[in-house]
Amino acid sequence: MKSHLLCLYAFLLALACTSCIREENPDDTPANNFETLWRIIDTQYCFHDYKEQEGCLPWDEVYAKYRPRVHDGMTDAQLFEVLCDMLSELRDGHVNLYSAADVGRYWSWHEDYPANFSDSLHRAYLGTNYRIASGIYYKILDDNIGYIYYGSFSSAIGDGNLDEVMHYLRLCNGLIVDVRNNSGGTLTYAERLAARFTNEKRLVGYIAHKTGTGHNDFSTPEAEYLEPSDGVRWQKRAVVLTNRSCYSATNTFVRDMRECPLVTIMGDRTGGGSGLPFSSELPNGWSVRFSACPMYDADMQQIEFGIEPDISVSLTQEDMARNKDTMIETARDFLKQ
Amino acid sequence: MTRTPLHASPCRFTCLRTLLAACLAASLPGRAQQAAPLPDNRHTTHATLFGAGRSSLYETYLSPLTYTGPHLSVLHETLRKTHWLDGRITTQGVFDGFFCLASNPAGNADEMGGKLNYAHGWHYNWTVGHGLRLMAGAEIHTGIGAIYNNRNSNNPVQAKAELDLGATVMAIYPFRIRKTPFTARYQASLPLLGAMFSPRYGQSYYEMSLGNYDRNVCFTHPGNAPSMRHFLTLDFPIAGFTFRAGYLCDIRQSRVNGLRSHIWNHSFMIGYVKHFSFVKRKEPQHFPFIL
Repeated sequence: MKSHLLCLYAFLLALACTSCIREENPDDTPANNFETLWRIIDTQYCFHDYKEQEGCLPWDEVYAKYRPRVHDGMTDAQLFEVLCDMLSELRDGHVNLYSAADVGRYWSWHEDYPANFSDSLHRAYLGTNYRIASGIYYKILDDNIGYIYYGSFSSAIGDGNLDEVMHYLRLCNGLIVDVRNNSGGTLTYAERLAARFTNEKRLVGYIAHKTGTGHNDFSTPEAEYLEPSDGVRWQKRAVVLTNRSCYSATNTFVRDMRECPLVTIMGDRTGGGSGLPFSSELPNGWSVRFSACPMYDADMQQIEFGIEPDISVSLTQEDMARNKDTMIETARDFLKQ
Repeated sequence: MTRTPLHASPCRFTCLRTLLAACLAASLPGRAQQAAPLPDNRHTTHATLFGAGRSSLYETYLSPLTYTGPHLSVLHETLRKTHWLDGRITTQGVFDGFFCLASNPAGNADEMGGKLNYAHGWHYNWTVGHGLRLMAGAEIHTGIGAIYNNRNSNNPVQAKAELDLGATVMAIYPFRIRKTPFTARYQASLPLLGAMFSPRYGQSYYEMSLGNYDRNVCFTHPGNAPSMRHFLTLDFPIAGFTFRAGYLCDIRQSRVNGLRSHIWNHSFMIGYVKHFSFVKRKEPQHFPFIL
């Protein structure tokens, strides 16, 4: 009996020794919010070394630069400004700070460049008799060139939609896929559309993830393949129109389309955004978004700062004055050759 | 027959070995006690309890902050005496689940958590004195669930899936107050060895959906998953029915793949108890046919 009781005592002692896994929530002070944000980016952001190579300030120096600007007496607006300034050092459109009053952002990737897209011109080309398949607007232009506009990969698209679109456009001599001003959304929809432009499985890029808190703690990059769709696939030449506002999932879509043999990328360089964003938060409840998983192209090159088109084209003032979209017109001429 | 003594060697995991020894020793029949005569009836107790309480969710994959909030829970337990080891082995099956809605300290973001667990245990039991019955043994536990953060982008959810083998002890004490029978019970469980699912530190579920697995099944032990469960109940009769009130403390924690996690649930539960006896017939009974 004694041995049994000893065993029970040992068991209860082990229970008592079981340690807690916890972290005390830090108090909501400007200093704690700053420290938490800096640590989140320090341990989870995925482009530290690459951004340093591209001329960004090392993250330790960012701390030294901005920490003195934080003090207990500052207002929320002042703290928000300091934190946003700190985050903008990363030059990353996927890095945002969200408060109830504002969204901290770095949008220089498109704000510092020509828009290369005009709403009024776009409306003029679409007219009124275009079709809408979920998030896709499409029509047949006068010269029998198919035109697809996909303005956001946040708008869902199904295989049934794409079958209908491809079937409707099947007799066209070429196809323009316009993703200008598409700032991203769901990767699945981007891949679903790209899968209509290949007849075989193609290596389109690589993806990795962080395995620890160090700036260089990454997994071995895994290959990403584009699988051909089981539905109606496009078998003629196609042009993808891009501008600097093509970001995130759209950047990935352009990366995938670039590997398809009958596809030409035309327009301006894309905006980039190749890091899959994660979210976290600060003690005061502000949410932060940041790039967490790097994605590369098929040559294992970074595409964080965008993808160059095969053919560079910009909107010209002359064409705009004539109510012509230079990029669409160039694509039409290219497809008619 | 001679017995070979076991020689202990110094080990860093002395505590763990002690617990394993406790499980094994507890599952052996005690020599000081004579086995109780095997009853013809197999007594089974079913209990269903409903509870409410507070949850604490800490999931560094989703947030560096701890979320807290209320939860609802349900538990169904079956305790059955077996014929094994002269009737000294009791099996226990516990199915339980909870759903909680927790908020961050600022109160502007929510996490929803839910989990289903099933544990099946085998206990050796013996009577200490004054009606106090002690039980000890091992149990296998499996659980599946998820925690969802309502404002995260590509890390909105953390899935939970685990399978472990643990030790469990129980003390049951029946007593009377003014001729009214009560039964108090305390049970503690401690997972010792197991496996659980977890993404790597910064791995997205999108990447996992592409088929890229990276140590997503982790070996667990008290060092990296110090979890435990305490269950204190009191059975009492009202109008011929037996009711049960209790307190359940369920602590599930892990520290794997660079991610830290805890789900702490404190529940107050109430429900009813049913006792069944399966009567074994000595001889086949012949029923006359009525034509």
